[in-house]
Amino acid sequence: MSQREQETDLERAIARAFARGRYSRRAFLGRTGRGLLVAGSALSLPSILAACGIGPQASPTPGATNGNGNGGTGTLDWANWPFYIDQDEDTGESDTINQFEEETGISVNYREVIEDNESFFGTIQPSLAAGQSAGWDMITPTDYMCQRLIRLGYLQELDWSQLPNVEANIDEVYRGRPLDPNNQYLVPWQSGFTGIGYNIELTGREITSMDDLWNPEFEGRIGMFREMRDTFNFALLRNGVNPTEATFEDAGRAAESLLEQAPLVRNYYGNEYTDGLANGDVALTMAWSGDVYQLQLDNPNLRFVIPDEGGNLWVDNLCIPTGAANPEAAHQMMNFVYQPEIMAQISSYVQFISPVPAARDVLAESDDEEEQALAESELIFPSEATLDRVYGYPDLSDEAEEARWLELFQGVVQG
Amino acid sequence: MRRLRWLVPYLFLLPGGVWLLVFFAIPMVTMLSVSLQEGSLGAGYALTFNFGIYPEVIERWSTQFLRSIQYGFIVTVLALAIGYPMAYTIAFRGGRYKNILLLLVILPFFTSYLIRTISWKFILADNGFVLGTLKEIGLLDAGFRLLATPVAVISGITYNFLPFVVLPLYVALEKIDPRLIEAATDLYASRLQAFLRVTLPLSLPGVFAGSLLSFIPAVGDFINAELLGSRNTTMIGNVVQRLFLTNNDFPQAAAISFLLMGGILVGIYFYARALGNEELTR
Repeated sequence: MSQREQETDLERAIARAFARGRYSRRAFLGRTGRGLLVAGSALSLPSILAACGIGPQASPTPGATNGNGNGGTGTLDWANWPFYIDQDEDTGESDTINQFEEETGISVNYREVIEDNESFFGTIQPSLAAGQSAGWDMITPTDYMCQRLIRLGYLQELDWSQLPNVEANIDEVYRGRPLDPNNQYLVPWQSGFTGIGYNIELTGREITSMDDLWNPEFEGRIGMFREMRDTFNFALLRNGVNPTEATFEDAGRAAESLLEQAPLVRNYYGNEYTDGLANGDVALTMAWSGDVYQLQLDNPNLRFVIPDEGGNLWVDNLCIPTGAANPEAAHQMMNFVYQPEIMAQISSYVQFISPVPAARDVLAESDDEEEQALAESELIFPSEATLDRVYGYPDLSDEAEEARWLELFQGVVQG
Repeated sequence: MRRLRWLVPYLFLLPGGVWLLVFFAIPMVTMLSVSLQEGSLGAGYALTFNFGIYPEVIERWSTQFLRSIQYGFIVTVLALAIGYPMAYTIAFRGGRYKNILLLLVILPFFTSYLIRTISWKFILADNGFVLGTLKEIGLLDAGFRLLATPVAVISGITYNFLPFVVLPLYVALEKIDPRLIEAATDLYASRLQAFLRVTLPLSLPGVFAGSLLSFIPAVGDFINAELLGSRNTTMIGNVVQRLFLTNNDFPQAAAISFLLMGGILVGIYFYARALGNEELTR
């Protein structure tokens, strides 16, 4: 190879530029520019990659970005689960919300957008991590999600001076809970059971045991939850393990049981399992206590049962994310719903466990026979015996541990 | 002023270039960077150049990758099979009604993608007005179902991307001079031969464009699999969705996305070579 051919484009271009005075700048730039572009990007790529990082997602100062609201006027944006507030069958409106709007003048934007905790968290996490508002003044996640939100600094502290009704009426059991020892962030909304909901017409018999969720007789008509904790709890209980004491090995065995079950499962649902139950897609499914009782109004064949092996007990909490535009309105709503009459009104519809014991008296003294019966309902005011049969969830406050469980579960749900 | 004339083409390119840079180049680099990071939400992420994640991801999710490509392939073939006769009829036999027919093809796009897919959930419901009626007549047995099967997912995706196939095909077919076909028949070709040897090769740019427009989105689709499918129809899009939103495992999700994009690019390169150097813009 001659010396000329061994020279690079660059050198040739330079040589030509000096040899022929009329070598245009454009031609020169054209030849060298390409080379420089490639070289430059190759050299700077690592630093560019490093710069495109995701920093720590936890907010440094919790509550630093509070909106100052409009002091009791304006709008309240409230994200909640479906079937979670009293709702008139015909108009679809909520008496509680209407009364609140009349009394305070705040207009409530009530959206039933939470189908399961994890995907809802996925929708608010990017904004909250960037220190911006997630678009909600009040949200209603379940205990473990609240724990995560508190840990990441995504919740505002509550001003208890604005919550006299809560202070007066809240059930003692909710004071000083491990996940919120000083009640700084959370006000319980409703509590409930996870059990089995089934259509007795489609199953042909009563269901009492979790084994029926694994029963090949119901192949293709079984529903499970896509949220890791509820479903893992069921598998752990079926294997005879107390979920609150479960280890990762127990989780491994639970995952194996779930994988055995997978061919029989129609789908892994969020709150939309109620559609599947109502229109007959599934004969039996994991279900939440109050939902099934509300569906029963339309379809008396639906039943709810806490399985023999045990069920899950969870608490959903009202809390205010950072960056909320109108935290005052959120406080006012919390205070409003904690009046025993209002809470009785809500409980009589949603049929979940009420955080206000005084609501029971309101229902018992009501003129309506139905409401009197509700005062004795195991679902709304459960007895000790019922509460003994249900369990909480494993403590996965450690991120790395939770990540392992989530990975295990993804293998179940998605293969 | 005339000296700056050389600047003008670059100025014209500037809006497009900036758009590409901001909405394509920068996100690509960011995603590559994220895929090489390790960490968690609370502790933050650090760029550790963890290239090992790519083989991990391929091994872990190979079933879903292959399934998505398989579905995408079936969807494209189906869409072409259904769309080609449609486009042919509109182009050659449409006459006065061409515009109305095209409007009818695009009409479903007036509603959102999600609503169209949910409507399929109702159509294919176990005891809905289609299956329920057939079951009552006795043509199907009571246990038959379409939802939560691959059939439902593929049908949903095909339906959603059919207009993307019909329109480029229509454009390519419309350009064909009918006198060429006349000439072919003058030279003793049968109608079928005229189609196979004149119309079909000339419409290949449309076939190429249409198949790309249906294959690429179909492989990454997740909504149809989520609404109409079950665990056994999980596509790679669902995996990314769960990793990103539920597990908050951003690096793995980014790695899968990058791999998918790379794989599709390679596949399309060979597809383009196979189809010959047809000019797409003729």
